Amino acid sequence: MSKFNFPFIKETNELSNLRKEVREFITTCINNNEFTPSPDAWVFSADPSFSKKLGSKGWLGMSFPKEYGGHQRTALERYVVTEELLSSGAPVAAHWIADRQSGSQILRYGNEKQKSSIIPRITAGECFFAIGMSEPDSGSDLASVKTKATKTKNGWKLEGRKIWSTGAHLAHYMIVLARTSPASEKNRHEGLSQFLVDLSLPNVKITGIPDMTGQRHFNETLFDNVELSDDSLLGEEGKGWKQVVGELALERSGPERFLSHFTLLDSFINEFRNSLIHSGTKIVGKLISEIQTLRRMSFSVASMLQNGESPETQAAFVKELGNKFEKMMIETLREFSNIVPLHEWPNQLQNLFEDATLRIPSNSLRGGTTEIMKGIIARQLGLR
Amino acid sequence: MIEELEIILETTSKILQKHVNHSLRQNIVSENTDILNLWNDIEKNGLPKISVKEKFGGYEIPFFSILPLIKIVNNHGTPLPLSETILSNYILSESDINPPNGIVTFATDTKNLQIKNNMISGEILSVPYLNLTKNLLIVHELNNVKKAILIDEINGEIIHKKNFLAEPRYNIKVENLNIAEIRPIKNNIDFNFLGAILRSAQMIGAMEKVLDLSINYCSERKQFGRALSKFQAIQHQISEMAVELSASSAALSTITELGLGEKNSNDTAILKIRAGFAAGKIIAISHQVHGAIGFTKEYELSYFTKNLNSWRNDFGNESFWEEFLGKRFLEKNNKNLWEYLT
Repeated sequence: MSKFNFPFIKETNELSNLRKEVREFITTCINNNEFTPSPDAWVFSADPSFSKKLGSKGWLGMSFPKEYGGHQRTALERYVVTEELLSSGAPVAAHWIADRQSGSQILRYGNEKQKSSIIPRITAGECFFAIGMSEPDSGSDLASVKTKATKTKNGWKLEGRKIWSTGAHLAHYMIVLARTSPASEKNRHEGLSQFLVDLSLPNVKITGIPDMTGQRHFNETLFDNVELSDDSLLGEEGKGWKQVVGELALERSGPERFLSHFTLLDSFINEFRNSLIHSGTKIVGKLISEIQTLRRMSFSVASMLQNGESPETQAAFVKELGNKFEKMMIETLREFSNIVPLHEWPNQLQNLFEDATLRIPSNSLRGGTTEIMKGIIARQLGLR
Repeated sequence: MIEELEIILETTSKILQKHVNHSLRQNIVSENTDILNLWNDIEKNGLPKISVKEKFGGYEIPFFSILPLIKIVNNHGTPLPLSETILSNYILSESDINPPNGIVTFATDTKNLQIKNNMISGEILSVPYLNLTKNLLIVHELNNVKKAILIDEINGEIIHKKNFLAEPRYNIKVENLNIAEIRPIKNNIDFNFLGAILRSAQMIGAMEKVLDLSINYCSERKQFGRALSKFQAIQHQISEMAVELSASSAALSTITELGLGEKNSNDTAILKIRAGFAAGKIIAISHQVHGAIGFTKEYELSYFTKNLNSWRNDFGNESFWEEFLGKRFLEKNNKNLWEYLT
């Protein structure tokens, strides 16, 4: 079991001070009506001007090297900043994917030109990314992607369709997983490559897909024989699977896996504090124990990333527990309506609650389903 | 000290591998020479006094740092109260009482306790392994001061023997029993917190074993022409065990690193909640994937699940600590939740 350890990592004074600084900044923004806290804000709430502001504070691309405009700070510092942003429901969706995974992916696998042209813009909060993994016929079975890149005289020709591409309509680039040679009989993971695709290129067509809440963040992105330059290949040809697995570790282990609806919980407690003292101490205690455990685990994974480890399995643990916690939290609040009926809740709280109830099914789908997480864990346990 | 601890952990594993087997667990009586031999080996290596001050002949390794040892002891399913003895001796030593040799067990709970003229009367409840020792630690609050009470010749009327648990437990009624030592506990250490931490570490050690047993069994047992472990339904259930266990271990590593201070007493509550909840899941799933064999006395799974069932109820169950955490946050401060958590 030693491979599933989550060593305790202490929050140092420097980190606490950074936390304070971010919190003060956010409070000022809220007081100036620069944003209204909203649930699931890292998916739904995009505000490019807020992203730019964070960039100028030095809170994007925090761990990126200075030569590319980064700040060479630690993954733990980035963790603290993201926690503060998520817990306050700040509009971070525009830059979220670029800052969380695409930037690191480019730094790890990209060539000099890719790094120097894109990383400084991510760090400034001016360049946004979408994820190019899922396709109409490839969801959980990611290795079955059919999008194809064919070598041409000057570069590559990209043909295919990506779906559920959150924020693609606002994004400048997408990292696309495509097949560059047929899968071998023995190993389907061979022959895949990642491409850095400029979404403003001709023959890229992005269509919105309203989700069940009626809002748009999903897209279908069509690549209709898009001409890519030679240096659009990200990393090594044929090594796309290994690269994408590393990217998923960045995607799954962060605090967005359990703080997506924290604004709801916070408002709920502030509103019903007095009733909760009489009839809700147990449920509040349960929620506190869950959040604190998840924070410790996620922080521990941040430290593994900082140390250059590949915590893909640990990330799956955090995501699985985080998803379960969020569902349990909303169920718990719903049961409380036995004590104060829902129609007596203040309007804003009712809205938050209904919003969360509608959105919660997506939390155990995005970034890999529960079934995929359990599969990853089972493999590590030697069951597969 | 870390190196010292590493060596101790290794030695302990060797001792336990040599002595502990499932038939030993089914004959936990003082007449069993195998039990005596095991205890002698444990004592020879100084394990009972590992957290006792040097002046009393101990290793003086802080109690919180030796939680990995508690895990190992219970991962092996050791049918002796070594965990209880380590904690009892630590409390005695912290109260400036020289811990006796041999097993020292403790009272998990008491009823109608009265102390007069250095004698004690009342009901002492849920005492583990009272059949193996005469030494008992009771922690009792007198005039708002927590006192460590050592009895070294326990006898009285056994009013209840709990047989349904893997470890023997007794409720005993005593009358005017001599107290060997009674002293205030230094820093007013809360026994309930230490007990909750001890039981959680024990549970985590046992849960690791239960997970291993389940993985091994499902990898060997074939039905419908293939190993159970190849069925996705089974894989997902076992993954769930691992997820719950990992959360408990994360909560334990917090205590191992931070100990028990003013600032982090919430961490004890979180640990006991997490471990107790995980134990519930892990008991249910491990029995489910084992089928009927897991329900037999002969197979060792039940030794661990029975202990888990008892430890998750000791020193406050999940609800108790949830109430504790919730009350503390709601009543004692006006901070919003996020400020409180960070």
